[in-house]
Amino acid sequence: MNNRLLAKSQLSPSNQLYSAIDLGLKSTAWVLVAIIALAPLFGVVIGLWPAAELDWAAISRFLGYNGLAYSVASTLLLSLVAPLIALYIAFMVYSQYRFNRRWQSLEKRLAPLLSLPHLAVALGLVYLFSSGGMLWSVLWGFVGQTAPEWLGLPRKSMLTMILAISIKEVPFFLLIFSAIGRQLAIKQWLLQGRALGYSESASWWLIVFPVVLKQSRLAVLAAMAYTLSVLDISLLIGPNIPELYAVVLYNWQTGFTPDEQTFAFLGNLLLIAMLGVLIACIYIHERLVTKQLANQAVMANPLNITRLSGVFTAWLGFFSLLTLAILATFLLWSLGWNTHSTFNTANWSTSLWQDEWFFMQGPLLNSLHIAFFSSILGVGVTLLALELQRHNKRYFPDYLWLLAILLPQLSMVYGWQIVHTSSNASYHSSWIILSHVPFTFAYSYLVLRGPFQSLNRHYELVAASFGYSPWQRWWKVRFMLLRPALLSAFAIAFSVSIAQYIPTLMIGAGRVATITTEAVAIASGNEQSITAVYILVQAALPFIAFLVASILAQRTRGSVDAEHQ
Amino acid sequence: MLSINNCQIQIEGCLITLPNITLEKGELLVITGPSGMGKSTFLHWILGDSIRHANISGEIMLNGVPLSGVNIEQRRIGLLMQDVHLFPHLNVLDNICFALPHRLKDEQGSKLSRRQRKDSAMQMLNKINMGYVAEHYSHQLSGGERSRVGLVRALANQPQALLMDEPFAALDPDTSAKVSQWAFSQLHERGVPSIMVSHDLNNIPSQAQHLDLANYFQQV
Repeated sequence: MNNRLLAKSQLSPSNQLYSAIDLGLKSTAWVLVAIIALAPLFGVVIGLWPAAELDWAAISRFLGYNGLAYSVASTLLLSLVAPLIALYIAFMVYSQYRFNRRWQSLEKRLAPLLSLPHLAVALGLVYLFSSGGMLWSVLWGFVGQTAPEWLGLPRKSMLTMILAISIKEVPFFLLIFSAIGRQLAIKQWLLQGRALGYSESASWWLIVFPVVLKQSRLAVLAAMAYTLSVLDISLLIGPNIPELYAVVLYNWQTGFTPDEQTFAFLGNLLLIAMLGVLIACIYIHERLVTKQLANQAVMANPLNITRLSGVFTAWLGFFSLLTLAILATFLLWSLGWNTHSTFNTANWSTSLWQDEWFFMQGPLLNSLHIAFFSSILGVGVTLLALELQRHNKRYFPDYLWLLAILLPQLSMVYGWQIVHTSSNASYHSSWIILSHVPFTFAYSYLVLRGPFQSLNRHYELVAASFGYSPWQRWWKVRFMLLRPALLSAFAIAFSVSIAQYIPTLMIGAGRVATITTEAVAIASGNEQSITAVYILVQAALPFIAFLVASILAQRTRGSVDAEHQ
Repeated sequence: MLSINNCQIQIEGCLITLPNITLEKGELLVITGPSGMGKSTFLHWILGDSIRHANISGEIMLNGVPLSGVNIEQRRIGLLMQDVHLFPHLNVLDNICFALPHRLKDEQGSKLSRRQRKDSAMQMLNKINMGYVAEHYSHQLSGGERSRVGLVRALANQPQALLMDEPFAALDPDTSAKVSQWAFSQLHERGVPSIMVSHDLNNIPSQAQHLDLANYFQQV
């Protein structure tokens, strides 16, 4: 009898019971983690199941839908251009900040800057820079004139969309570059580049960019998938005739006629095909750029144009200023400013806040409890997923865990909605919480994976030598060391949940109002002052979460946080 | 010729006053000394890198030109470290092309084409019988191959001097002996004055100069 069999035969009944329980717990945990991680894929697959029989007549009616081609083309263009602009700007910012003293302050401010909802940035740009926007009114107000109509950003246009998304995605890419950069010998590469006669900026582009670009594939895909199916800001600042594809598809998905149902199914297929086109574009872009840069490297081109990156030294100041200007604009609007006001003539009052408070309480409480529970669940499941993989001594590829941010939201939520409706489930907020969990999970995973994997296992080994059991070691060492990273993950998950529009609206069928759904509904009308109130509250919630997280994190010294993996 | 005069290194409460150093073409200076004494910092100072944890003063002259205020990319000083940092997105041939000077010209005086640059890099590899690694990427090379390609790349840049920071320390003793002998002969042949930081004095050519920082150290 070999040793293993001998050991097995010597297991006492209680030990056998423990190992059976252990096996049962592990299997249950794997099933739970798989359900959450794969729910987006499940939603997409369900959405691809035709609800009614298809015929050629329906397909040709779909293809002949007024403005469809334009809608698809403009959405593809937007989804391609805006994230790439953000990627390039973020790289130039990264190259300017990475090895100087301002990097730490940038890293510290990244998460709060990232937490500013897309909706706030999009509407903020309109409130600030559109004709009659705050900036022009104030500037022209100094000379007692009104700003000309032609001046300023169009309220609803592709340009406004591209600007809003490219500005908003820069902090996201910076966060990704920051994580990638920790694993690369960038400093030494730059030193080698300079020792070989290249300027620092040329070295960044010729040596670092091709590697970073390749490693940012998933992040680029996430930004493109988001832009492809973003609904709230497409509704509010996207072009009108024809609308962006997300708006067209959403209208079909929420329609009741058989034609609309068929179009919803075909439209969903088309959305997935568009995602395929974007994935192909990511690879083509990467290939073209790396090949071009390799050619320049072979020819030892000094790439003097790269010195332009120097402009982005001012990015942190610019972005912080823009954020403050956006928040100040909303605040002033909520206190009585309007398009015809000047600082002297505006009727400043807090009455709007007092009036709206009555209507806001319900949505606010909904937002808070949905965000709180979905974040707790998201972070909890993330820890479980990481722990299970650690036990297995094998980590699955990231894209499996990040499906919620790599697939178009409209497709997956459409699938969930079909299941939800066909199972006659209620419209209780617990369903909304569940629909947010895949997203809070994906973002928590993005934040926690690094700190979790890089935690020095010797700490637990030392604890084991003191006689602590595996559970005690996990709780008293691993969990405690991860507290700051967990708090960051919670704050990010919280802000993700607060900003969710599509799942809240589609799973709740409009019956569970949150601050975000209310803000979009009000912003669709003409009530700019009330919109400002709701947007301010929407922006304040994640900010408060980050503030609390950072205060709590500062109390846990000597631990590993998300920024110091 | 590389000369370093009146050099003082102040690092964590100790002061090292170096004798004046002069290296003619093809000469090698080996620097030794206990860890933390500033050997690598000294090399980075010569290279022109910003030094954070030490104060170093002195004058560096390369072929009669003072280097103070000249930035790294204009100094024409090569660097070879323990990890040679071949760029991972370029194959060996392209890594060497990257180092070939931008304004390299052919016999007719016209700028080299892409093909010519690649041929030129290939010749360098063939000269040391390493043509077979031309299409390989960094992770496909052995430690010894990586060190040799690193030196070829550094020399392809036609440096006026070369700094080496324990370049063969990661190799096993046999490979280290072979590669270092080969490297010193290459440097001597090409007339490049070099400074090397090392812990291992076994494989140093007899004619190399030697500077032990510990001999010039004083507590302040």
